[in-house]
Amino acid sequence: MANTLEIKHLVKSFGDLEVIKDVSLTANQGDVICIIGSSGSGKSTLLRCINLLETPNSGEVWVNGELIKMGQDKKGQPCPTDHQQVDRIRTKLAMVFQSFNLWSHMTVLQNVIEAPVHVQKINKIEATKLGLELLTKVGITEKADQYPSNLSGGQQQRVAIARALAVKPDILLFDEPTSSLDPELVGEVLKVMKSLAEEGRTMIVVTHEMGFAKEVASKVIFLHQGRIEEQGSPSEIFNSPKSERLKQFLASNLEG
Amino acid sequence: MDFLSFLAFDDTGWGDEMLAGMFITLLVSVSAMAIGLVFSVFGTMAKLSHSVIIRSFGNTYTTVIRGIPELLVIYLFFFGFNNALMAAAKSLFDYHEYFEFPVFLTAAIAVGLVSGAYSTEVIRGSFLAVPKGQVEAAKSVGMSKFQIFHRVLIPQVLRYALPGLGNVWQLTLKDTALISVMAIAEIMRTAQIAAGNTKEPFVFYIFAALLYLTLTTVSSKALNSAESWANKGVRRA
Amino acid sequence: MSSYYQMCEGLPGRESWLNFNLMCEKLPDLLKGVPLTIELVSISLLAGLFLALGIAMMRLSDNRLLNGFSRGYVFYFRGSPLLVQVFLLYYGLGQFEFVQQSFLWPFLREAYWCGILALTLNTGAYTAEIIRGGLQSVPYGQIESARAMGMSGLLLYRRIIFPIAFRQALPAYGNEMILMVKGTSLVSIITLMEITGIAKQIIAKYWTPVEIFLIAGLLYLVLNFLVTQLVKYLEIKFTPYLQHPK
Repeated sequence: MANTLEIKHLVKSFGDLEVIKDVSLTANQGDVICIIGSSGSGKSTLLRCINLLETPNSGEVWVNGELIKMGQDKKGQPCPTDHQQVDRIRTKLAMVFQSFNLWSHMTVLQNVIEAPVHVQKINKIEATKLGLELLTKVGITEKADQYPSNLSGGQQQRVAIARALAVKPDILLFDEPTSSLDPELVGEVLKVMKSLAEEGRTMIVVTHEMGFAKEVASKVIFLHQGRIEEQGSPSEIFNSPKSERLKQFLASNLEG
Repeated sequence: MDFLSFLAFDDTGWGDEMLAGMFITLLVSVSAMAIGLVFSVFGTMAKLSHSVIIRSFGNTYTTVIRGIPELLVIYLFFFGFNNALMAAAKSLFDYHEYFEFPVFLTAAIAVGLVSGAYSTEVIRGSFLAVPKGQVEAAKSVGMSKFQIFHRVLIPQVLRYALPGLGNVWQLTLKDTALISVMAIAEIMRTAQIAAGNTKEPFVFYIFAALLYLTLTTVSSKALNSAESWANKGVRRA
Repeated sequence: MSSYYQMCEGLPGRESWLNFNLMCEKLPDLLKGVPLTIELVSISLLAGLFLALGIAMMRLSDNRLLNGFSRGYVFYFRGSPLLVQVFLLYYGLGQFEFVQQSFLWPFLREAYWCGILALTLNTGAYTAEIIRGGLQSVPYGQIESARAMGMSGLLLYRRIIFPIAFRQALPAYGNEMILMVKGTSLVSIITLMEITGIAKQIIAKYWTPVEIFLIAGLLYLVLNFLVTQLVKYLEIKFTPYLQHPK
């Protein structure tokens, strides 16, 4: 059951607006699942429901075969019931954000070792060693003592990936990791992500980079208005799309 | 006697005196704010001047006045202003008679001097906040220096300065409580007299606080609507 | 010390445009007020900081009672002059029998403790707003990424939210510290002999307002200069990423 994720009948609404409507998906060890779809289709919300930055209204999230317990708070809003479980599971599910969200008051290395040292209580010397290894892996060792504000967007995102890897997660979640980057910086981030996929890591990637999905994904999910409209292997999705909406989406996203 | 009867609006109660005090507070505040704005025009010009000497005058004014307790400034004026004026009259106009400058004006000038130092900082900041391109655009369409100043700069400076000047007004309003040491019958002084006469300090100081809160609240409401009026056509981020 | 006064004798006195002799002679007297001023500032700033943390937390809580109390507190102490607050505590509370009989009376009848209390309550309100502003300025993404890494509760506050908020709030708090240095002058009105109290005494006796104002003012400027330097030092120490790279 290691490194697996299973979502069953997930529903999420904000007020009256239902954003995710009954979505189920399974990621096995080593799967790279790319979620595509136009903006507003619920891709990011789905990802945020997985590590409970948003709490689903109903449905189940299973991580490594363990069900995340959910209930309702006093106001009737859905909320997780076991916060310790949530914190523990979150270190199994590392997330990389669209806007990097590096902590501005810490250096690059401090960002990377923060969670290992303070959440997982790993010895600081060991964590630093691991942190430097990870920075080497994302090709940014020379910036270890710089503050995030001195880095380019692409560099910040690579640091964010190193930070995510530092907790030794079982599953990596990417929320449009290249969307706020200048075009010339996208490549360096995608390269790092590709190398992670080649290591056999389980990854869920929300992305607009169709080239990446085509090349790296083991499975592509097309989300439309909160539902899974179509899913399959990259070649099924990109070469022989069945639904009209997917065809339209691909036509407007693949040109150029 | 119950609390309310102390505040009655007749010869036995102090309600009318306290309201009169509120009026005096308002009058001093408005005068001090106006005097302060005059000071701040000169202060801003000095601080934005090209001459190092003039600039250091402006900087000294704002640094010194903002770094010294308001009460100390008020004591200086209370004890020294009249003498200084008489000395000036003697040497400048050869006028040797004794005279008494109105204490109300002395108070307004003292508080105005403080208020002006804060206004200077606000207005200087607003001048610097107007994007350079605005002036360049005005130059490029052939506006004269004066036109640029009063058609382009001033309206924008005022808009940037309004919130800051609102804060200065609130400061000034509260600073006027200190002129009670000059025996001017504004809110605080009246409350002190009433408290002494009735032996009910709590009632009168609470009432004084309420009057100040009324003034600060009403003016902050008014300032908010002034701001939204001045921000016509400005998109909020 | 006598040689100091001998030196003062040598300075121009009443005949000069400023009585330098008197200024020199009275400097030691005014200096005697400095420790009390520093004491009042430090105690009330420290106590006010703790109070402010509580008030700010109440303001951010979902409990309507706590939230309302915090709003009212800040509204009252920021909307009325410090002088009223000082008088209310010093003269106002004493009129009540139950206050006079309470265990707090030995403190509340002392101008010293009333002054400290008034200054503390006042700075508590302003500082609470500064803290609230600092907390609200923490970018939400940075909190969210901490959550996503398994941080929550106290750990999240201690490692991420407070450090960022502290750095954001520092300049505003520096201003508040200066306002407090100036604010202590008000307790001279309730008989405390700090710098302004002594200055007023000398002015009333020798009728030399300008001279004494200059010295007392200079002492306050020195104190505030030190405060500014302290804040600058803290800013450089805690916000290296905001300093211009060398």
